[in-house]
Formats: sequence, structure tokens, C-alpha cells
Amino acid sequence: MKAIYKSQFYALFQSQQERCFYIDFGQKTVRASFCQLLALRQKVLSIEIEDHFDSDLNQHGFELLQLCNKEHLFILNTHEVLDLKQLIQNGFVQLGISSTEEILMA
Amino acid sequence: MKDIARQGMSIKVESMDMLNIQIKMEAHASATYLAMASWCDQNGFFTSAKFFHKQAEEEREHMMKIFNFLIDAGGSPISPEITNINHDYASIVDVFESTLDHEIAVTKSIHAIVLKSREVGDIATERFLDWFVMEQVEEENTIRDILDMISVTGTEGVGLQMIDDHVGNWIE
Repeated sequence: MKAIYKSQFYALFQSQQERCFYIDFGQKTVRASFCQLLALRQKVLSIEIEDHFDSDLNQHGFELLQLCNKEHLFILNTHEVLDLKQLIQNGFVQLGISSTEEILMA
Repeated sequence: MKDIARQGMSIKVESMDMLNIQIKMEAHASATYLAMASWCDQNGFFTSAKFFHKQAEEEREHMMKIFNFLIDAGGSPISPEITNINHDYASIVDVFESTLDHEIAVTKSIHAIVLKSREVGDIATERFLDWFVMEQVEEENTIRDILDMISVTGTEGVGLQMIDDHVGNWIE
């Protein structure tokens, strides 16, 4: 298994043999197909982080994240959401299907 | 290392994101034209109502074209959520002027995606959008012609009725 990108809390791996990806969430590792990885990207990048700083829009500063056809459920705080966004953005750059040049430091 | 991600998708994720925004824009245009059809129908402009019904269908076809392209490219198309559809117009002229503004906004958005896909070397997306670029020239031209016709006919007396009748010339 090859490490694609590691952020502060999370890590993205690619398995050539299984033709899939693994995301290490710390307490749990999640297996994801490419389509599921795309769905995760969509969910994570569409989280409005500004809402975490407005108690009317997000009272407790948490996000519920369902992954891989509702197989997994995560509750993330603001720091974890920011870190996951970083993992996704930089992971896709490393995978060669994102053209974003800037790679944030992990 | 095997390029599993590239094997899964033929376009860049940035293009996919912009095309998903375009899907939403086309869906919004379709819903807006349906609202215009409703306004026209309620205000006695029955031919214009038919015209906008047809426009609404066309915009939905555009949306589906992009949606299916994303599926073919291995991407993840998002079914759009549409809100804030205006149903209030001051006059039939207002309706067509709003239509032209809407088409110009769509054109600008498509051009932005073409330029971005060119910048990131996403040739497939750039070529796919060729059809949309030319379609927008046609769409804008149709509405400009109708506004010219309204300007020549005038809105006094039976002008409004004549305008509505003439709109039928642009229903294919």
C-alpha cells in the first residue's frame, strides 16, 4: 500500500492490488473506491467552515460526515474538518487529477 | 505506482467542479424560464408562454448534456438544488431583457470553464464545451432579435399583442 498524503490527523493510501484507496481516520481506517473518494471530496469541500464561527448556523461546531454509502459515520470538529479538507485537496493533487499547484504543508 | 485515480476519471477535478456549477446554472435557467412562461400565461402573452416553455426544456437538455458528460468522464455529477426563482416582472420587455441578461451570464460562465480547462490542459472538457459556446451565440442572438422586434413594434396600442404574435417566429 502506498501513502499518497498525510495531514496532521489523517492519511490517504492507495492499494494497487485492490485498486482502491484507504483513509486512515485515526480510530478507524476506511476503504473507498475511486467513486467513493470523489463523493467524500464533494462532501468535505462543500462544508462551509465559516458556519463553525457563527453560533446561529452551527451551534456546536461539529459536522456529521457519512461515508461510503452510509457505511461509516464520523463526527468532526472544526480542526478535524480543516485537516480533512487539506488531506483531500492535497491528496487529489498527488493523485494527479487536480491541477492545484499549491500544496499545503502537512 | 498505478494511476488508479486517472484510470477512474478522464478529466481534472477542477473541471468537474466547474461543470457541476454549470449544471446548477442550467437548471436555474430552466426553472427561471418556466417562471417566465407562467408570468406570460397569466398576463395574456400566450405565444411567449409557449416560447418560454420551449426554452425551459432546452435548458434542461443542456443540463443533462453536462450531467451525462460527467458520468462518461468518470466524474461525479451533482443533482442541483434550485432556489430563488423570480416570478415577478414589470412587463414583457422586462421578461425578455432579463432573459438576455441570463443568457449572457451563462455565456460568461461557459467561457470561464473553457479558459480554466485550457489552463489546466483538460482538452476533453474544452472540446466538449465547443458545442455550448456556439449554442450560446445562437441563444443570445434569438433574444436580441426579439428585443429588436419589440423596439420596432413598440408597446403602444396593439403593439403588445403584435409582439406576442411575432414571438411565435422564434419557436422552432
